[in-house]
Amino acid sequence: MTPFRDDPGAEMRELFFETSQELLQSLNDDALKLERSPQDGEVVRSIRRTMHTLKGDAAACGFKELSELAHKLEDALAEGSAADAGALVQLSLSAADIFSAMLVAYRKRTTLPDTTAIKQMVSKLASGPRATRSKRKATTSKNSGVMWTEGERKSAGAAKADGKSIFHVVAYLDQLCAMPIAARQMVASQLASIAQVIAARPDEQSATHAKKFDFLIATSAAESTVNSNCVIPTVISHAECFPHGVEAAASADIARGGAKFPVPTEKSGVAPETAGPTSVAENILRVGTERIDNVLNLVGELIIAKSMMQQSMQEFTRRYPKDPLRARFSDAMAFQSRVLNDLQRSVMKIRMVPVEQLFRRFPRIVHDTAKSCAKQVKIIIRGQDTDVDKSLLDAIAEPLTHIVRNAISHGIENPRERELAGKDPTGTVQLDAYHQANQLIVEIKDDGKGIDPVKLKAKAVKENVISAADAERMSTEEAFDLIYRPGFSTAEQITEISGRGVGLDVVRNVLMRMKGTIEIDTTPGQGTTFRLKLPLTLAIIQALMFRIEHRLYAIPLNAVAEIARAQESDLHRVDTTEVLQLRNRVLPLVRVGQRRNSELEPRRDKIFILVLNLGERKLGLVVDALEGEEELVIKALDDHTVSTDLVSSASILGDGRVVLIMNLAAVIERFTRSGTDVSNSGSLPRATDGAAPEVRQ
Amino acid sequence: MSTETAAGHDFHIVGFQVGRETYGVPIAALHEIVRVPEITAVPDAPEFVEGVINLRGKIVSVIDLRKRLGEKKITATRRNRILVVEHKGRLSGLIVDSASEVLKIPAADVEASPKVLHESELNCVTGLGKYKGRLIMLLDVSRLLDVSIRLRKSAVVEGKAENARAAAAK
Repeated sequence: MTPFRDDPGAEMRELFFETSQELLQSLNDDALKLERSPQDGEVVRSIRRTMHTLKGDAAACGFKELSELAHKLEDALAEGSAADAGALVQLSLSAADIFSAMLVAYRKRTTLPDTTAIKQMVSKLASGPRATRSKRKATTSKNSGVMWTEGERKSAGAAKADGKSIFHVVAYLDQLCAMPIAARQMVASQLASIAQVIAARPDEQSATHAKKFDFLIATSAAESTVNSNCVIPTVISHAECFPHGVEAAASADIARGGAKFPVPTEKSGVAPETAGPTSVAENILRVGTERIDNVLNLVGELIIAKSMMQQSMQEFTRRYPKDPLRARFSDAMAFQSRVLNDLQRSVMKIRMVPVEQLFRRFPRIVHDTAKSCAKQVKIIIRGQDTDVDKSLLDAIAEPLTHIVRNAISHGIENPRERELAGKDPTGTVQLDAYHQANQLIVEIKDDGKGIDPVKLKAKAVKENVISAADAERMSTEEAFDLIYRPGFSTAEQITEISGRGVGLDVVRNVLMRMKGTIEIDTTPGQGTTFRLKLPLTLAIIQALMFRIEHRLYAIPLNAVAEIARAQESDLHRVDTTEVLQLRNRVLPLVRVGQRRNSELEPRRDKIFILVLNLGERKLGLVVDALEGEEELVIKALDDHTVSTDLVSSASILGDGRVVLIMNLAAVIERFTRSGTDVSNSGSLPRATDGAAPEVRQ
Repeated sequence: MSTETAAGHDFHIVGFQVGRETYGVPIAALHEIVRVPEITAVPDAPEFVEGVINLRGKIVSVIDLRKRLGEKKITATRRNRILVVEHKGRLSGLIVDSASEVLKIPAADVEASPKVLHESELNCVTGLGKYKGRLIMLLDVSRLLDVSIRLRKSAVVEGKAENARAAAAK
């Protein structure tokens, strides 16, 4: 935003960048709709409207190339509306792509993408149907796309019936004229003196700086009179006048029209639709996220203050159990905490956006991917209304795209294979989002061939990811874990879309960063479901607090599957990893802290094992004592002096203590990295000086 | 508080003790002085990084200046204080044995630090002040913290190298 701060148009451009995204989205949507129902003229009109709005907005912001291209496309669509729908779909989709590329280029101020390809498409589309179009329609559109509305045409018809001749006058503005709006006024009054002006383009309200004006007039005067009346020295260089409904000198006109600045057309005719986005904007406030975050931070402080007060209150109650003030205090505090809860929820809601903002991109992605894989896929979207934190939504966009592409290129079979398997030749990808407890669940479900663990293992052995012996021992879940390995792909051939093996590992990393998990549910022959589980918000978490070597830590509660009590003597060593047998399952354990060399120190008898859910895997974290559960307001711990990847952030408890929130992903990563040699504690968190932190007064 | 006197420029110094020595930092560099609250230790931190504290809702990292300055004997007493300083827009705490006095040292009584100090890691001593027969080492806090961060980074890099070696050895 900062690069053109002083530029008065900067704000407008910013707004354009935002609104244009919506326009491109609707362009995509419409194109796909058109593909489904090629005869729907309304969709074509909608596409044209989008182009039109884009054109006008771009011109207003000074993005000439974009505006011109949109103008061309709008024209092409007007003529080709009855043409081959498939070509139109293709044109619209490529247009959306090229526009978005152009927008990026404008934004980053880099060179614009090449638009020759799309221009060729336009001219191809335009040359086909033009010959067969009716004369009248061709004329109107050739006159630089000026379209008269139904009402205007009617009044023209009425005037004609009165015996007057109808002319379409095009007055070209002199290049030296400094006052285009005044010029229009002058031409209009000139014409009014000899004729009745039925319509004018641009119309009176428009402030657009056009280079030419179109008028529809009804007059009893001759053509030459009209023409000479229009020319005003130094204002209007020349004017053309031709009877309405008769084709003009097409080639000359196109040459001019093409080189001229685009003129907004059809302004009044489609006013309600084009006005849509702007009128909605009136009761929508665009606020920078940092402002909302600021408010959220303050709410966070309030929550800390609340727990401080609650703690003091408890103390007070203990000391003066009979004091009458006590009841009044606790009433006030109950009230305060209720308001605070509402406040927190409302602020969080500001950051929430419906998941639809993300999901609506997917029909296009599915369409493209399916096409390039020569598969037939339809997409079902559900749960669009589910609210999600904006930052979360942005973060999962990429992983989700990846999984969907994967589902189409790997999961769903060719139409032939599907028919042989007795399935509908058109595969289905289903996106769903819903809330469950404190989590957002996003499901990506396909009805493809599913993932075969045996095949997976075989491939992994072949690619030297694991040894044959390992594969033998691997459980099904562990086998599924293989797909997250970097560089691993089950695709037989590498395609542009997927199969490079860069993917699911990245997906998982993103999710871990967001403190979420990913699960796979697959049935061979029936399909695969990927389930992303994410915390609803990143700012406030429900946390479980515990102590390891007298140090207080917290982890997100939703990562904990269960808590088990154990004795040190229950733990066993397998290879070099400590394990615990928990209801017939062997649970590998992780220890954080120094007492990993447990032989050296006296063993504490009673310990707790937090069973952590990490996607498909389960791990036990050995902790000394549990401290309870609390709502924590996350504070960044980005101080260089203390930064470590083991701790993701910190929080302040009601009594003023600081609690560190453990970064489970990093802890586990260290565990698996040094997992073969647990006693080598060099890379593991060590206590400062070995001693428990001193408690000072 | 006027900084100009008839004798010329005065240094306004907050004096504090680390071990047997008295150090000083310019009063303007100091945000506040607080008692030592409960400190939450941070894993993976270098030895002189004590952890983080809650300073009225802000999380502030704390360095034990005694460890940082190589003091051998560290005792926790009620007189211990944390000097909170602002460094590059961020607050940091320094634990000292005690801090109680504000000293006004005339500029004439401040000498540049001996050259030998510049070469060691202790180059955060910018001058020596003489005050009523005592010698007060003037610290440049931002340099001290910069060095600490650098130490911390090199420790991390070493740790990583160690890990890599360990992995390679397998």
